[in-house]
Amino acid sequence: MEPGTYLQARIIEKMSDSQKIRKLICFRCSKELELRKTDFSYLGHTFFTEVPRCPECGIVYISEELVKGRISEVEMQLEDK
Amino acid sequence: MAYTHELVVDCLQFERAFCATKCPFNFDIRDFAGKLQQGRFNVAFRTYQQAVGFPGIVTALCPEPCRSVCPMKDAGGAISLKLLEKASVEYARNTLPDRYNMPRKEKRVAIIGAGISGLACALRLATKKYQVSVFEKTGRIGGHLHQLLSPEIFIEDIELQFTHESYALHLNTEITSLDDLDFDAVYVATGKNGNDFGVERNYEGAFASSRSGVFMGGSLTGADTMEAIANGLAATNAIERYLKINAMNQPEEPSGTKLTIEAIRIVPKELIIPQNGSSFSREEAVEEAKRCLRCTCDACNHYSPMMSYFRKFPKKITEEVEISIHPSSLDGHATVATRLISTCNHCGLCREVCPVNIDTGEFLLKSHRVMREMGKMPWAFHEFYLRDMEFSNEVANLTRLPGGYESGRFLFFPGCQLGASDPGLVMESYQFLLKYYPDTALMLHCCGAPADWGGDGPVHQKVLDKIKYDWIKLGRPTAVFACPTCKLMFHKNLPEIEGKFIYQLIEEKGIVPENRFKGETFCVFDPCAARHETELQNTIRRLAAETGICLESLPMGRNMAECCSYGGHVSIAHPPYAEHMVRKAVSQNEHPYITYCSNCRDIFTKSGKKAVHILDLVFETDSGNCRLLTVSERQSNRLILKNQILDQFWNEGTVMEKPAAELQISSEIKEKLNKSMILESDLMAVIENNEKTGRKIFDPEKNTFTGSHQIGNMTYWVEYRVIRDNVIEVINGYCHRMRVEE
Repeated sequence: MEPGTYLQARIIEKMSDSQKIRKLICFRCSKELELRKTDFSYLGHTFFTEVPRCPECGIVYISEELVKGRISEVEMQLEDK
Repeated sequence: MAYTHELVVDCLQFERAFCATKCPFNFDIRDFAGKLQQGRFNVAFRTYQQAVGFPGIVTALCPEPCRSVCPMKDAGGAISLKLLEKASVEYARNTLPDRYNMPRKEKRVAIIGAGISGLACALRLATKKYQVSVFEKTGRIGGHLHQLLSPEIFIEDIELQFTHESYALHLNTEITSLDDLDFDAVYVATGKNGNDFGVERNYEGAFASSRSGVFMGGSLTGADTMEAIANGLAATNAIERYLKINAMNQPEEPSGTKLTIEAIRIVPKELIIPQNGSSFSREEAVEEAKRCLRCTCDACNHYSPMMSYFRKFPKKITEEVEISIHPSSLDGHATVATRLISTCNHCGLCREVCPVNIDTGEFLLKSHRVMREMGKMPWAFHEFYLRDMEFSNEVANLTRLPGGYESGRFLFFPGCQLGASDPGLVMESYQFLLKYYPDTALMLHCCGAPADWGGDGPVHQKVLDKIKYDWIKLGRPTAVFACPTCKLMFHKNLPEIEGKFIYQLIEEKGIVPENRFKGETFCVFDPCAARHETELQNTIRRLAAETGICLESLPMGRNMAECCSYGGHVSIAHPPYAEHMVRKAVSQNEHPYITYCSNCRDIFTKSGKKAVHILDLVFETDSGNCRLLTVSERQSNRLILKNQILDQFWNEGTVMEKPAAELQISSEIKEKLNKSMILESDLMAVIENNEKTGRKIFDPEKNTFTGSHQIGNMTYWVEYRVIRDNVIEVINGYCHRMRVEE
């Protein structure tokens, strides 16, 4: 694990809180999306959190609320780190 | 970077104030006055006591040499320092000296002469816990002070300062030879015409004599009373150096200052006269202290918007950049200065106002490049502009000579932003040039500023190489610019290409009509890239005057021009700073502005400030009040311009390529996309990808599809509905910098 990864994982761990689980369907697999562990990376740092994903093909859904909220915060923290 | 140290070596930030250079104690009056300005009498007194040793005596006898160099002396009167010092003594909660809990030092120092210089030396050495013996040939201490002051005053002060310290005093003990003394060091302070024991001053070290371990100072060496005290205090440093490393070469205290202060910074303020005639009340002391300018060189922080925003001087900036380039953090990733480096507008004002020409902007530009080469600069700060430049240089590029010409005398280089803002102005300008200079070639291309500001060396070089290659093919014409930034970039990076401004050619032809703003008052807002273009600045003013407009000056015009906020493309890296800059620029004057840079014009218009481009006035076009354009519309305008030019001047009008589908986007969503700098063409690329691969998510509740696609480094998301074949309603669009590892 790269140094700092754990810290970043902690920073981002609450991201999934705002991902309200509402019914979303993967168009290709016709499967309902489920919260699944997903890896993210930015500026050489990697971390993970749970976001809705297709259990079959793995396509990810990220809501605008998450982007404007936690993701944007973490991006700024990493840019200033 | 080795360059770092060189940059700040001449910085005057820490130069001594004028008053301190005249003070025998080298007293930091700037610091003292600052504390008094806040009404902190106790801490001000501590500063004073530390500097002079015997505050009671100095307050009584100091002739205030500082007054002769105080910049306020002709602006109400020099600061009444003596009264301020007196106030600090009077209003301090506690005037007892500090007690230092330090271990006893076994080194023994002899002081010959219990005059005030010897006692000052004894006080400082005793405070440092050396073993001090003072030998006095008479039966009293104080030396020549007896001729100047009542003994009650100075004896009381001497006793007070020695409250916590002890020394051996040998009265009526005349030393006749230094050989009689068995000490580790000796300070000879026998007063005016006193015994020098056959030693002479050795000017290779402060207070040093020709004999090892023997130091001399005070009236014996020609000092006056204040200098004698200061000598005694300062000699302890030389003595301590000798005791520690056996060297007699303590450097002399610095003298003089390189400090300068601008006349406009000296604002006259009436001298505060104590109501009781002899001493200040607390309030009077604070008011008088507030008259002190606390002279320091802060020109960069006073004028440079970026440095004043961050409250950072060149030294601090270089330190932060240095630790970003060579991080000392455990993971080696700490880059504290990335946002700072990316917030420089590269407007050149910091260098312009610096008395020693420190170019912090150039340093930050180089640092940006280094950080980018090391992969430490967040790509997001400049990616939009680099992609935008690529669009200008590829899809929207056009480089041509008019039909029938093998080479041209002039090459019109309007820059990528004028056409994006208003294709009509480029058309009018080119038409004007062709009318008077029919062989004028045209180059719709970016000057490379986005790559330069973004620190992308290889991309920048590629842009420059392409311009140079085309310029040679066109017969090495003189470039004619509309944008001062383009000209500056050419001057810096393509010096072989001569350049002039279209405004000067327009003036030569005398075609300027009176226009609709006749009689109205405007201010010329000089773009920062034109700060050294004095002739251009004059031309613009003359052209504006010819149209019948009345002109008023801005406080920050001509060589002192401030950036409108566009320079350096800082708005992504630091949006609040960019907004601060715009507010600052538009509040310089209530009248509307005339600009000769389309970016300045568009930024002011966006902020609600009325602004017109000088070409709007010259050609009587109406784009000064044009509606605000989105980033997508600005790109489309470049294609429209290319097409119109091909059609009008080369009869090669082409049908513009239709997009694969029509996007229906509400004005609210368009505005939102614009704020996030999301291009409609990017949304189209996402949708095309989703539709082609089927990788999209269906929301049954809203009956919409959502999908994402990474373009460059950015990930774009679109929520949309397919209305019918090739017609798509965009419900939402957003993007993030973080990459999803699928």
